[in-house]
Amino acid sequence: MWGSRRTRWLLGAVAFAFIAGGYAIVLSGFPEPSSADYASYMVGVVALLVPLVGLLLGHRTIVGERASGEMTLLLSLPYDRLDVVVGKFLARAIALGTAVAVGILGGAALVNYPFGSFEAGTVAAYTLGTVLYGAAFVGVGLAVSTATTSTAVASSAAFGVFFLFVVVWSQLRGVFVAALGYLGLADGRLPTWALFLYGAEPGMLYRRLVDGFFAGVEQGPYLGPEAPWFLGEWVAAALLVVWALGPATLGYLRFRSTDL
Amino acid sequence: MPAIQTHELSKRYGDVTAVDRVDLTVEEGEIFGFLGHNGAGKSTVINMLLDFARPTEGQVEVFGMDCREHSVDVRERMGVLPEGYDVYDRLTGRQHLQFAAESKGVEIEPMSIAERVGIRDAVDRRAGDYSKGMAQRLVLGMALIGDPDLLILDEPTSGLDPGGARRMREIIHEENERGATVFFSSHILEQIEAVCDRVGIMHEGRLQAVDTIDALRESAAGGTKLQISVDDPSETHLDTIEAVDGVDSAWIEDETFAVTCPSDVKMDVLVALDAAGVDVLDFSTEEPSLEDLFVEYTREGGQ
Repeated sequence: MWGSRRTRWLLGAVAFAFIAGGYAIVLSGFPEPSSADYASYMVGVVALLVPLVGLLLGHRTIVGERASGEMTLLLSLPYDRLDVVVGKFLARAIALGTAVAVGILGGAALVNYPFGSFEAGTVAAYTLGTVLYGAAFVGVGLAVSTATTSTAVASSAAFGVFFLFVVVWSQLRGVFVAALGYLGLADGRLPTWALFLYGAEPGMLYRRLVDGFFAGVEQGPYLGPEAPWFLGEWVAAALLVVWALGPATLGYLRFRSTDL
Repeated sequence: MPAIQTHELSKRYGDVTAVDRVDLTVEEGEIFGFLGHNGAGKSTVINMLLDFARPTEGQVEVFGMDCREHSVDVRERMGVLPEGYDVYDRLTGRQHLQFAAESKGVEIEPMSIAERVGIRDAVDRRAGDYSKGMAQRLVLGMALIGDPDLLILDEPTSGLDPGGARRMREIIHEENERGATVFFSSHILEQIEAVCDRVGIMHEGRLQAVDTIDALRESAAGGTKLQISVDDPSETHLDTIEAVDGVDSAWIEDETFAVTCPSDVKMDVLVALDAAGVDVLDFSTEEPSLEDLFVEYTREGGQ
């Protein structure tokens, strides 16, 4: 994986995006941007780029080696399938996480110099949140990779996930309201349980995390003063951890129980 | 303790039965040949030894350990040259060998392994540049690491030229002398014949026959065929031959006597003819080849 030019290019693009953002934030009208400002400024790009790279890194891990026969060689040696999944997941999640961390450090440093301010705690928290977000999509990619023995199906499924979560999800609110209204479960607004489910998608969680912790947003159905605690930023952070570890675990369970 | 033991081992994929109630025992220290056409079920049995595929029914154990429950422990004691593998293109041969050594927890001298299997000059090249034969040798080298108790070789001579195949056989004998059990699966009769103590013939998922090569030859229809050239091939001498204990049948063919009998009766026939005053000019023997045997055991519908 390391040697692949495409992988290095993708990771480089991620780091570059953060650094470029750190440079651009000043030009786009923040006179003295703080690290927190940087976080919310980057959200749009991050929510697009990080899932893309995460899925690209993850979706061929198992199925590619299975289809080409490298997995046969690997598992003829005394390795456990758990070792294989954990090793591959960690390698890719850490690779993406490192690109994110390097990029954020670079970008935040640029934000700091010479106009803005650098708050180490904020930068660390933001890095962690973004790394988790990336790990979630590496994990989803890995889960896709274990669910099929065809690389074509894996690629289509990964694209489907990207399309659903990143492109389309934010537009689906109206659809959910209408569907629930049709079922008699809502009256033009989403009830709190539906808000919870709708907001449990990784991108929604990440945005809520950034809004709540860094942008200081305190309004709206999730972060407003009357919103229930389980719609807030702390639960969002916890759910993002679940996303980071869950799909990969499901992928392992699937891989463990099927023939090679 | 047997190296490999299966009991009523079966594998079905939907409607297709790939392996059908196979009872197989491979003793420690033997070189066992697993013979059968492509698609007979050999690789499926091997996949179940390696926990690549899970049995639909039955048990499979290696050194007393279940191949699924104790999969890692089982593979610790094995060296495997699988079928349908691919090497990691971007790693060198040396890195492959190191990788295998790490998995077995041993230190190796990569050059000596590379030397032994014949890829010494290519060991630092990327495996993606290897030819099929070189890759095969590399994976054999990986299989030998750690002095495994059981070597599983699935179509090991594929991709090798005759010299390479001969070297493979030498290595198999060396390993067997060291005490390893060898399980050699192939559809190529000559390779199996040249190396193995016992042979199991797979056909359409069933284990049709298991025995030593000699015993299989004995039990094949016809036994040994003797061709005896004499100065006077007359019918009277046929009686002399048929009177010899153990002779199956005798007839005259192209001015020579043709006799079918078990291998150890050959000399008795010649002695009998000599005693009857017949001048034996020449004789030749035709052992039933494993090929005839194989064809017989793998006829449509099997035995």
